Amino acid sequence: MIRALTLMLCLALTPLPAAAHKVIASAFPSGDVIEGEVGFSNGDMATDQLVEVFDGDGAKLGEARTDADGYFTYRPTAPVRHIFRADLGAGHVAEFEMTGEEVAAILGKAAPAPATADPVVEVAPSGAPAPALAGLSTADKAEIARIVRDETRPLRREIAAYKEHHDLQTVLGGIGYIFGLFGLGFYLAARRRLAA
Amino acid sequence: MHIVDGALAGEVVLGGAALAAGGIALGLRQLPLEKIPAAGVLAASFFVASLIHVPIGPSSVHLILNGLAGLVLGWAAFPALFVGLLLQAVFFGFGGLTVLGVNTLNIALPAVIVHYLCWRGVTRSAPPLAALWAGFGGALAIALTTVLVGLSLMLSGDEFIPAAKLVFFAHIPVMAVEGLLSAAAVYLAVEVKPDLFDTLKGAAT
Repeated sequence: MIRALTLMLCLALTPLPAAAHKVIASAFPSGDVIEGEVGFSNGDMATDQLVEVFDGDGAKLGEARTDADGYFTYRPTAPVRHIFRADLGAGHVAEFEMTGEEVAAILGKAAPAPATADPVVEVAPSGAPAPALAGLSTADKAEIARIVRDETRPLRREIAAYKEHHDLQTVLGGIGYIFGLFGLGFYLAARRRLAA
Repeated sequence: MHIVDGALAGEVVLGGAALAAGGIALGLRQLPLEKIPAAGVLAASFFVASLIHVPIGPSSVHLILNGLAGLVLGWAAFPALFVGLLLQAVFFGFGGLTVLGVNTLNIALPAVIVHYLCWRGVTRSAPPLAALWAGFGGALAIALTTVLVGLSLMLSGDEFIPAAKLVFFAHIPVMAVEGLLSAAAVYLAVEVKPDLFDTLKGAAT
């Protein structure tokens, strides 16, 4: 038992690349389309992956395919809730959604007269109104939005990966929970035996 | 290996949960005082082993050590592996809470099967042969787990059959590693502390 414990501790204390193979996926407005990414939390992206799009009632709206970087774009046609579903096989399924309001905002922008929606606002995570970009043409604004998107993309991916990152403390905490639980069980069993 | 939330049909989730609950109840009955520390250590080993991911192909695989757990614990592998899975789901988001039952069943049932098939071989043989039995048990447990995972996916929809095959083939290296690891662990136990299995024997049956 001592040896097993020692082995266990050695295993636990080795700084392992504790990467999960959890699926991460997200969708965000990108100009007049919905852009999304699908990948595994260890940084591998799902390439050439079919993403099916459903509305809130489960009716299929369409589908998209991810590119070599795990990104896909989908052009919405109706301002309803969009549910994206990617089946990566082997029990890995990602489901994520975009609310009807967000889709409506994208569609509003896709309209010929993009007077109301500012593309930059779509990118700002806080949703704070962007400073007035007077003097910039629509093309300029779209270009700026594209640049900001490209710049923030690696950050977004890093944050997603960081969220999934679990360090040694969490692992040790889990082991502590297990020992605690079994210790409690041991205590209860021992008490029952002593009482008998 | 861990099926995530939403990948399975509702019936499969419910059925898996019911069967897993039965297995856990049965396992707790067969978890006498002497076995509890061993169950704790094996649950912790499983918890840690599942964190070591080896990328293979589009996905990644990890060790499970359910064969070893089954050999030592028998039906008590159900509660032990359940605790490990529960904490993995809560801490790391491996699998999910709704599919906990199915995952427990997929991992613990092969452990129990291996226990019944190989336990006699492990306890009644000379150390080298015992190690061989354990290696066989370790590999078999993974094979059975992939079959069960495939079955769970299949019951949720026919389009999963290729995925199920993929799970099986992706885990062939894991079977080899697990077999070696189980064999080494049992060889060590039989050589160094042969009463590990004997102490638990009286309690197990």
